[in-house]
Amino acid sequence: MLRFFLLLLLPIFLALPGSKVLALTPTFETDIQPILQAKCARCHDDKSRKGDLHLGTLAGIFKGGESGPAVVSGKPGESLLYEKVHKGEMPPEKKNRLNASEVQSIKDWIAGGAKGKEGPLALGESPNQHDVIPILLRRCSACHGRHRQEAGLDLRNKAAILRGGKSGPAMVVGKPEESLLIKRVRAAQMPPPSRLVEASVKPIEQGEVETLARWIASGAKEAAIEADVASQTPDPLVSDKDRDFWSFRTLAPVKIPQVKDPGRVRNALDAFLLHSLEEKGLGYSNEADRHTLIRRASFDLTGLPPAPLEVEAFLSDKSPDAFEKLIDRLLASGRYGERWGRYWLDLAGYADSEGKREQDLPRPHAWRFRDYVIRSFNADKPYDRFLQEQIAGDELADYEQNAKVTPEVYDNLVATGFLRMAPDATWANITGFLPDRMEVIADEVDILGSGIMGLTLKCARCHAHKFDPIPQRDYYRLLAVFKGAFDEYAWLKPEVRPGIGPVSQDVAGGRHLPLVAGEERRAWEQSEAALTEKINEAKARGDKEKVKALEGQRQAEPRVQALWDRGDPSPTYLYRRGDPFSPGRLVGPGVPSLLTDGKTPFIATPPWPGAKQTGRRLAFAQWLTRPENPLTARVAVNRLFKHHFGQGIVKTLGNFGRAGALPTHPQLLDFLALEFIRQGWSFKAMHRMMMTSAAYRQSSTVDAKRLRLDPDNSLLSRMPMTRMDAEALYDSLLLVAGKLEERRYGPADPVQGRPDGLVTPQGAATGWRRLIYVQQPRKKLPSHLELFDYPQMNPNCLERRDTVNASQALHLLNNGMVRELASSFAERVRREAPGDSTRQMELVYLIALGRPPASEEKRLGMAALKELEEQWKSHLADGESAGGKAHAEYCHAILNSAAFLFVD
Amino acid sequence: MANADHNPTRRALLGGMSGGLYAAALAHLQGLGLSRSNAGEPPPAADLQPRPPHFDPKAKSVIHLFMNGGPSQMDLFDPKPALDKYHGQTYFEKIAAEVESPQSAGAIMRSPFKFAQHGQCGMWVSDALPHLARQVDDIALIRSMHTTNLTHEPAVYLMQSGKMGPGRPTLGAWVAFGLGSECENLPAFVVLDDPLGLPINGVENWQSGFLPPVFQGTRFRSTGSPVLNLKPEFSQPGEVTRLTRALVARLDEQHRQNRPGQPVLDARMASYALAARMQLAASDALDTSRESQATRDQYGIGKEPTDSYGRRCLIARRLVERGVRFVQIFINAQIWDNHTALATDMKAACLRTDQPIAALLRDLKQRGLFDSTLVVWGGEFGRLPIAQLAADKDERKAGRDHNKNAFCTWLAGAGIKGGTTHGATDELGLKAVENKVSVPDWHATLLHLLGLRHDQLFHMDNGLRERLTGVNEVQLVKGILA
Repeated sequence: MLRFFLLLLLPIFLALPGSKVLALTPTFETDIQPILQAKCARCHDDKSRKGDLHLGTLAGIFKGGESGPAVVSGKPGESLLYEKVHKGEMPPEKKNRLNASEVQSIKDWIAGGAKGKEGPLALGESPNQHDVIPILLRRCSACHGRHRQEAGLDLRNKAAILRGGKSGPAMVVGKPEESLLIKRVRAAQMPPPSRLVEASVKPIEQGEVETLARWIASGAKEAAIEADVASQTPDPLVSDKDRDFWSFRTLAPVKIPQVKDPGRVRNALDAFLLHSLEEKGLGYSNEADRHTLIRRASFDLTGLPPAPLEVEAFLSDKSPDAFEKLIDRLLASGRYGERWGRYWLDLAGYADSEGKREQDLPRPHAWRFRDYVIRSFNADKPYDRFLQEQIAGDELADYEQNAKVTPEVYDNLVATGFLRMAPDATWANITGFLPDRMEVIADEVDILGSGIMGLTLKCARCHAHKFDPIPQRDYYRLLAVFKGAFDEYAWLKPEVRPGIGPVSQDVAGGRHLPLVAGEERRAWEQSEAALTEKINEAKARGDKEKVKALEGQRQAEPRVQALWDRGDPSPTYLYRRGDPFSPGRLVGPGVPSLLTDGKTPFIATPPWPGAKQTGRRLAFAQWLTRPENPLTARVAVNRLFKHHFGQGIVKTLGNFGRAGALPTHPQLLDFLALEFIRQGWSFKAMHRMMMTSAAYRQSSTVDAKRLRLDPDNSLLSRMPMTRMDAEALYDSLLLVAGKLEERRYGPADPVQGRPDGLVTPQGAATGWRRLIYVQQPRKKLPSHLELFDYPQMNPNCLERRDTVNASQALHLLNNGMVRELASSFAERVRREAPGDSTRQMELVYLIALGRPPASEEKRLGMAALKELEEQWKSHLADGESAGGKAHAEYCHAILNSAAFLFVD
Repeated sequence: MANADHNPTRRALLGGMSGGLYAAALAHLQGLGLSRSNAGEPPPAADLQPRPPHFDPKAKSVIHLFMNGGPSQMDLFDPKPALDKYHGQTYFEKIAAEVESPQSAGAIMRSPFKFAQHGQCGMWVSDALPHLARQVDDIALIRSMHTTNLTHEPAVYLMQSGKMGPGRPTLGAWVAFGLGSECENLPAFVVLDDPLGLPINGVENWQSGFLPPVFQGTRFRSTGSPVLNLKPEFSQPGEVTRLTRALVARLDEQHRQNRPGQPVLDARMASYALAARMQLAASDALDTSRESQATRDQYGIGKEPTDSYGRRCLIARRLVERGVRFVQIFINAQIWDNHTALATDMKAACLRTDQPIAALLRDLKQRGLFDSTLVVWGGEFGRLPIAQLAADKDERKAGRDHNKNAFCTWLAGAGIKGGTTHGATDELGLKAVENKVSVPDWHATLLHLLGLRHDQLFHMDNGLRERLTGVNEVQLVKGILA
């Protein structure tokens, strides 16, 4: 710590009271201040303190910024100021760099003691509670903290230290060497070396012991230091100019532009798109035919191809709003939530295991969150509510006082599983240290920042954001918002199954609440009670084997993987360079300054009378979902737009900052965002608007002119052709084969791995369920998912890739399950049109591609069938089955064809 | 590369220089991303077309002998007489936080192996590695490696991907992304895992993270069907298979003709063609029976305990010969993780690998591949100078626990100054102290040898430049460069 260091230096200076400063040693006011004024003041004066650094005064330099003190007196090599100017990293603009003699002056000045006219800065302050609390938290609180007070001792604050434990007060103020705390630590009894790993604690360092001792010696002072929070004075770190960037500005009403060809405008969205196209001398492409439209719309909303009957109904509907009706029907389908819920699960980084360690600890209750997401989409839950539940569901309604778990309370709690999705190995002691915990928190912040806020918040973990006006302070204010739930000093660990890993010292408890809806709970209780009865009977009979067998039938208690505020959060310190062992200033909860006026305090109150919860996350969630928040709605509609039209209006879905892409249609984005809010944050309303536009109905055919004037289709001069994603492909293969079991919800279906690395879902007798219901363990992902660009959730994925490669070809051609499904598909077709080969071929096309075959396709198909059958005949004794085998192979080819894999 | 200057003249020039396959390579051969997520940046490479490096490379291919588990530096390459001197003295209290299993920590332990100097360079190698000892003039040893975590999973992640967690592109994926492939029919990044089992972190060791999956390592198995899905999992006459493929090709051709201007459909047809070629090429590359008996004997193929590793080393040579960019060989589970019985277990690990590795170095030299191939040996961390004891405290069965502060790696071949010993540890071999080499330093040096600048090899991810070396300050290990 700075103060500590200066104190060490003090005696050196004091020893030279009368000595004259050498003429050659520079002095701050005359030699250094002018250089800093000329080269650094633009960003580091007392008004604009970039990186929270003020270089105008000696005090400011010693206080330093987010990365710590700028100068270590006497040691240029350890002084950030010297390092930055010496390496030419600062000032950032080349032309302003310091010349060699200026750099030398700074070096000499620091080496000579970094003095001002009045001599060295008198900063001989003794340590205060904020110098010692972080030490006690990181070294002692695992056993003497919030959820564990060994020997009755709590070391988290002065009062508790004085109160002491079984052996008496831990501290005698003024007398460090008589204080138990110091005695035990100096004797290397505490923290106990052999139990460090058990508690995931690193040993205390000598410097830390000295700080504790000096604090006690100097009276265990408690300085009146307020946590750094937004106040009513303008923010020195983020200016209104910083906020003046397109995405940080509040949404303002947009004028719908005029177009030359109003005939192609079906709704306002078209006016914006067409206007941009017309400026380039382009217009929309022709409307796609109805076969194409229904296949496109079905995949878009349900992730599955339309059934032949649906195609027929749509084709024969001559009413002008036939397509609108189709969209409504698809939106009402339960399949819709399975398709759109999946996008959200990607955003959240959903996985059925913790990852990071070899054991890949399972998350047996994660599926409830998956179901919650699917149900929410199907119910068209307003996005503002959806976010509030996921960020602060535990603070929306009192779940502790009420005996009954209402569906609402259940949803609220399951929703908070959103911020439990990051990979996490902190269940094991050796990977559960402070930095490991911070890594988990950082991942959760990254998910929140990129997925919902459109900000690369993660960059501000170690330093001020390089591109956006996000001071490091704002990152830690956000951590303070979450501290009631994510407290690195009172950490809830993922629950370890018996047999995995050693027992921890740190027993804060797990992350599950036994709060499932009454019905499920009752069913479980009844079955357990019935089982207990049977066991007792067997015991009475003395049938030990039976008892054992029955015990094995016990079901785990149904529980919810959740995030909840436990009240009494630890203080939040800014971590210099992201290092939790280098705490800086105390900060309080708050929202990123760039999204506010910078002078509105963040106010959080307990959510209901008598609540132990801080209410901080609820206040944050409510702020996030205010219509005035410039990013929330923009980011959401942009993502929706991407999934419908192939690319976002802002192409960097999770980065709306300065390093992100600029919007191709800024007015349209704002219009959609406003419309989204106006329609009550309804996703379905937005789907309807986007999909019933003329833009969406365009053909995906490209011509030379469009390729020239709109090469990457960012003007949307046509619809993009898309490759089915992993789920759409897998589910479609099952559907066309007649093997898709459309049972929704519930625990995930297991996967099985083969020694050669192939991982497949375990099918049931009734068929296979959609891929979203198949287990997704991080280390044992179904091969099909991996091959077709299912992302590694690290921690999440906003945009999947859609590659085309040889491994996919090999999979579709050679995989046994694909081939088996092709056979089932063939059998189905032969069952539905027995003996009629023409009709069979038509059915193959209708079922797989939503259209009848073209004449050339028929010709190719018939010829191939004939050849295939002949080949099989020459290999089989039984001529009858040759036809079936040939047909299966034909279906296999169709499922391998580009026409099946791509959607026009 | 996202940043590559796509000047055709420069590309053609460098492509010609690096083997002449550039012109012959098919565009969009194995993969093509449809979506572009970063406006203002050229779309990132998503294919295996050869790409020019940033400057003249020393190496064109890499064989990474990944010794997962944490080989013991003071029993292989870094002799510590002080261990003999202090043998039996208690030391645990001083390093408590650096010990993964405090309950089994013992006293300072001398090495059960004898060290001697070898080669013209006089490099110290223990008697556990007699074969490598004869090749020391070809290798550059780094004794001052250090890492940031003493647990396998995070340390292996760091070694493989530059970050202590899953999900980042691995080293081989970065190299494939940066340079593409010189081989039309094989993947750019091939993994030869041990048939006995996967290493720690399993398949995550060769994942491509946020890079397109085409850069992911492809597992070639040295026994059985070499690549997943390479052959049909169902039996049918070969002619039927051929007819089916022909039908797919004709239907796709029809489909494509009706949809001009969609390059992804060309890529799609090419991917099916490549799939067919790969079936032949992979089988051929893996067929070690085509090698002479003398060669096979050198690698220890056909005898235990060298057969399995020797086979993989030989296949690695056959792969780089065919233009594969990055080959990574793994050893099953944790043979170097000698928590117990170091004297016998570590010796067993050496017996399995020593002869094959020495043979690989000689073979590469004989075939003129040593000047273009970089061979890298090493694990994820080192081991402690103190003993680790089992519950019965029997010192004869002692091993060593993990050590993140010091370990050894060596490099050989293209661009490497053979016979070098770089860096040093403290008296006990506990900590690297001289010319310390961090994992990012090591990564940057590998990239450097391939002609890639670590700070210029990046992928735009959500508007940010993501690199193998992250935001770390990095220094090349210049002392080992020729």
